Amino acid sequence: MSEAQAALLLRKQLGDLSKSPVEGFSAGLIDDCDVFKWEVLIIGPADTFFEGGFFKAHLYFPKEYPQKPPKMKFISDIWHPNVEKNGEVCISILHEPGEDKYGYEDASERWLPIHTVESIIMSVISMLADPNDESPANVDAAKDWREDYNGEFKKKVRRCVRKSQESV
Amino acid sequence: MAESEDSGSELIKIVVKTPKSKETVEIEATSTITEFKEAISQKFGQPVEQLCLIFAGKILKDHETLEKIGIKDGLTVHLVIRQKVGSQQGPSASGSSAPAASSTPSAPAAAAAGTAPAAAPQPAPAAAPFGVGGMGGLSGLQNLGMGSANFMEMQQRMQQELLRNPDMLTQMMENPFVQSMMSNPDLLRNLIVSNPQMQQLMERNPEITHMLNNPELMRQTMELARNPAMLQEMMRSQDRALSNLESIPGGYNALRRMYTDIQEPMMNAAQEQFGNNPWASLVGGGTSNPQQGQENREPLPNPWAPQGSSTTAATTSTTTASTTASSPAGQGLPGGLPGGIPTSGMFNSPGMQSLMQQMVDNPQLMQNMLQAPYMQSMMQSMGQNPDMASQIIGNNPLFQGNPQLQEQMRQQLPTFMQQMQNPEVQAAVTNPRVLQAIMQIQQGMQQLQAEAPVLLPGLGVPSPSVPPAGGMPASPAAPASSAASSSTDSTTSTTPTPTTASASTTSPSTAAPPTGPTEAQQQLLQQMLQTLAGGNAMQPPEVRFRSQLEQLETMGFVNRAANIQALTATNGDVNAAIDRLLQAQ
Repeated sequence: MSEAQAALLLRKQLGDLSKSPVEGFSAGLIDDCDVFKWEVLIIGPADTFFEGGFFKAHLYFPKEYPQKPPKMKFISDIWHPNVEKNGEVCISILHEPGEDKYGYEDASERWLPIHTVESIIMSVISMLADPNDESPANVDAAKDWREDYNGEFKKKVRRCVRKSQESV
Repeated sequence: MAESEDSGSELIKIVVKTPKSKETVEIEATSTITEFKEAISQKFGQPVEQLCLIFAGKILKDHETLEKIGIKDGLTVHLVIRQKVGSQQGPSASGSSAPAASSTPSAPAAAAAGTAPAAAPQPAPAAAPFGVGGMGGLSGLQNLGMGSANFMEMQQRMQQELLRNPDMLTQMMENPFVQSMMSNPDLLRNLIVSNPQMQQLMERNPEITHMLNNPELMRQTMELARNPAMLQEMMRSQDRALSNLESIPGGYNALRRMYTDIQEPMMNAAQEQFGNNPWASLVGGGTSNPQQGQENREPLPNPWAPQGSSTTAATTSTTTASTTASSPAGQGLPGGLPGGIPTSGMFNSPGMQSLMQQMVDNPQLMQNMLQAPYMQSMMQSMGQNPDMASQIIGNNPLFQGNPQLQEQMRQQLPTFMQQMQNPEVQAAVTNPRVLQAIMQIQQGMQQLQAEAPVLLPGLGVPSPSVPPAGGMPASPAAPASSAASSSTDSTTSTTPTPTTASASTTSPSTAAPPTGPTEAQQQLLQQMLQTLAGGNAMQPPEVRFRSQLEQLETMGFVNRAANIQALTATNGDVNAAIDRLLQAQ
């Protein structure tokens, strides 16, 4: 039952997003038959090092959505403190509420059923512009970001941007 | 598919949206993306090559058709207009070297070798002895098409040849003639400098000039170039080379070719092989080399980036439910407030305004925000600093147009702060239901303002003073309440307080006649608290839980009656209500 609910909810969001897309990203399904797997293209936010990039990411929704958060993974290479090297996005709102395995997040910072694809992606876009340095998923990127923002960090980000452009 | 649609030459309207503008394009449903792009190109006045269309999470490929992708009438497509790439590059460079460099690992080094000798026969005086004919005698170079009359073409072919055959590169580099050429720094420098592309590059990037003017550096570079094994190593480091390149933003495009080809791979290889190579510092931590052009290290202007990357900003940035607003807030507040000075403009910034709007729409966000550590420190500093509070009042767009109201607020603020220090008031105010009730009062006032504007002046209120949005006055009031709560050190109580305060400050200001602000204000507060105590039960649930209802509806719970029931049962807790709703099904 709840699976049907989740599918319904996701269909609705998909419909809304294709009718009136939101600035900064575009979303669709990886496979039109499976509403639980989304494909998102994030347009690198202007005035950041990510500007000009097209970053592809997948969202995997659990059957329990919206009770449980989806997982998000960048398919395009991306160099960012809060994105694992394998592309998994690590932000607090995608962490399940309940026991706090990271030990520092408020319940309110974690997943809430009111989140939609839009709110998740907007979070991620804002994360791109403004990393959370305190819980880096990619320690090397966090180090670059902290210590050599305009040097190493920028170089690596720009490389990802270029790569994402070439894969177009 | 096609049968059901029967869209032979049916025209559809597609909305094309860029970050800045929006246009509707009419086109046949069966068109290809190329045709679509041509239509867009006319509308937006941008060349087709620079258009990039995105739909349903995919970048549209030129050969696809609208039909196949599922773009139907009325749908919207994202358009990104790319910056001109390659316009700064030389005619031959854009075609061959750019894609090559990134696609094959051996590319840059190969191309490096290609360009360096290729530059030789150019008009430089030093190059005069190496005419094309002379070069033709070299075993390595002959294969590379030295017979070609067109130099550009030759260069291109050379690069391609080299790409296909790394051995040839080695062979060429081992050629004694090439080696002797490479062992003369002055000559090499002349060769490089005489290349017009390189000249352009150097004008833009003092670093390169510096590099070329450093004979020691040149010598070492050549040392590398003479060693085939090391060259191989360089080829492997191409990826790094590309990334290192980018520390020079201005000349990136032009730079890409020359710089990657010659300097970077070598430097990288050197860096990898000799850890403390004297010129390794050129690549990495640019700070160690004082001569390096500093202007290129300037970051792009980034309104979102944390200034000085304060930790509070970092903590809160990924925090909240509605994110776009939370980010600017995370930036703006800790940066601006505890320092105490640059508050003006903060409230006028679009970020702040949208935050306010969101607070009104979404109490959850508000709570989250108020829990944030920066909020507390902000409030504390505001409590300690009445000037700042009044400054904020002055800056609040709500009060800006209304000096009378501003004055009133200013007068009432200290009293209000005192009020808030009263433990009873605090207790009342920390009750979430109280918060809700006050929100409702606020909403009621708004409604009153909208429905019967005539009534309000009768109540002693200058009509424009009624806030357009419930959350707006939170800022002036918030300091008061938190100053209070922080003074008694009750951390948990801070959460709902400011909203309450917001309502209460607005209300006094709206209701209090100018005669005795203090008394009137107290009275009102009391009244309010009575209302709070007496109960929001008087409010129908659909009003009380309006925002929660909206949330549920956006989540797809369309049965309003069931939603209200669930919210009433859970006392407005959206999560719990969803649980209930799902269980009921």
